[in-house]
Amino acid sequence: MIAYHLFLILLLVLSCLFQQFIPPIAPWSDARILLVPLVVLCASVTVPPSGMLILAFLGGFLWDAQQAVVLSYGDSAVYREIPDSLGFGTSIILYGLMGLLMQGIRPLFQRGGWFASALLTGVAVFFYRWIEFLTLSFIRGGFSFHDDILRQILITSSLTMILAPLVFSMLFKVARICRYTITFDALKRRSRRPSVA
Amino acid sequence: MRPFTLSVFLLFLGGLAWALSLSGPAVREVQNVYYSSISPWVNQGDQARSFARSFVQEVEHSKDLKIKLDRALAEKDRLSLIASRVRELEDSNNELRRALGFKRATPFNVSGAQVVRRKPLTWAPSIEINRGARDGLGVSQTVVASNGGLIGRVYQPGDHLSSVVLATYEGSMVSARVEGTSEVGIVQGQRSNFGKAPGLSLRFLSRTARVRRGMKVFTDGRGKLFPPNILIGTIEDFETGPVDGTASITPSVNFENLKTVFVITGNPDAEQL
Repeated sequence: MIAYHLFLILLLVLSCLFQQFIPPIAPWSDARILLVPLVVLCASVTVPPSGMLILAFLGGFLWDAQQAVVLSYGDSAVYREIPDSLGFGTSIILYGLMGLLMQGIRPLFQRGGWFASALLTGVAVFFYRWIEFLTLSFIRGGFSFHDDILRQILITSSLTMILAPLVFSMLFKVARICRYTITFDALKRRSRRPSVA
Repeated sequence: MRPFTLSVFLLFLGGLAWALSLSGPAVREVQNVYYSSISPWVNQGDQARSFARSFVQEVEHSKDLKIKLDRALAEKDRLSLIASRVRELEDSNNELRRALGFKRATPFNVSGAQVVRRKPLTWAPSIEINRGARDGLGVSQTVVASNGGLIGRVYQPGDHLSSVVLATYEGSMVSARVEGTSEVGIVQGQRSNFGKAPGLSLRFLSRTARVRRGMKVFTDGRGKLFPPNILIGTIEDFETGPVDGTASITPSVNFENLKTVFVITGNPDAEQL
């Protein structure tokens, strides 16, 4: 169990590295594959709530370390009305919420319904990006919504969702190696095996 | 709830409260540690990507040449290939000449850099350049293009790579003046549509400002953030509000096609700012 959890943390760190090399796709409204949220979401459904919370914290923390823009402004007499931005740590909350969503269908996942979790990954990424956009609009004021933003969020979540089966397949393999039980079905199969006397 | 889950949940809440309460410099420190840790792998990855790209280009060239030889049009195609390469070299040469000319002509101490990654951040327009703290880059240093136009400023200098936030970022603010007038204001990025050229707006102008389309906008050096007299763009139109006026600006730089940029590492006017 410990080995599996350590592997998840390693996978999370690796996904942060690989995320650096995933460019936005200009013809598709700058959509991109979000590897870090994908790993957190897929891994969240394979672990108990405590593991999900640890993953959400680490994932959100690393994501903000990569994405947060902290600008310093000069003389406050000149630079008034400084625009707000998403604060460091916001992603931890969002990752936690996404993790909770994934935990909601963990019973189905444990019965072997990984495809529902893969679909939910896309839905969760969609809501994650959507909430980020709404929060940014809210704190900066002047809500404006373009079709391009919806397209970008939709394509981003779809592309990310397409990769979910790959991540699940990897997690299943690693779980087998680490002797960690993800699904009840796996438990059943193991119990059906004839025991060696 | 099991006691273990409850304790992890409490730890999660504690960690969250700590992360949310981090100050700006503390966040920057966290990001410094993060980028310093990953930069060796990112560098290796960049090199591997460049190698793979050149390899693929080489393979494509080889295939092209073979097909052309088979079709007995080798000579014609070879010449056209040469011509296109000459054009590429000419473009590259012109770019380098402009860059060199700018480096000689500018009154600032500048460090040239290549753009290695575009839009690494999901919401903020930004680029990554192949110069870092080891090349003398620091936080908030101004980044300009070879035509002298403002690009943005360094916000995260790593050892070898630095992140630059573009002036078109909504959270970016540049103190500016309109050429030929006494009007000063703050230039901010606009929330733009994807696929359209990013725009800038000059806020806090007086309602009676006599600004016309085509007038140039420069940094004015107030606020000690950007050196003065760097071209930002030209006025597109002007609208008056209940309190002040706002002008739309066409940037002097094509932000979608940045290749070589210059970071102002030393500013001769800095002492007077």
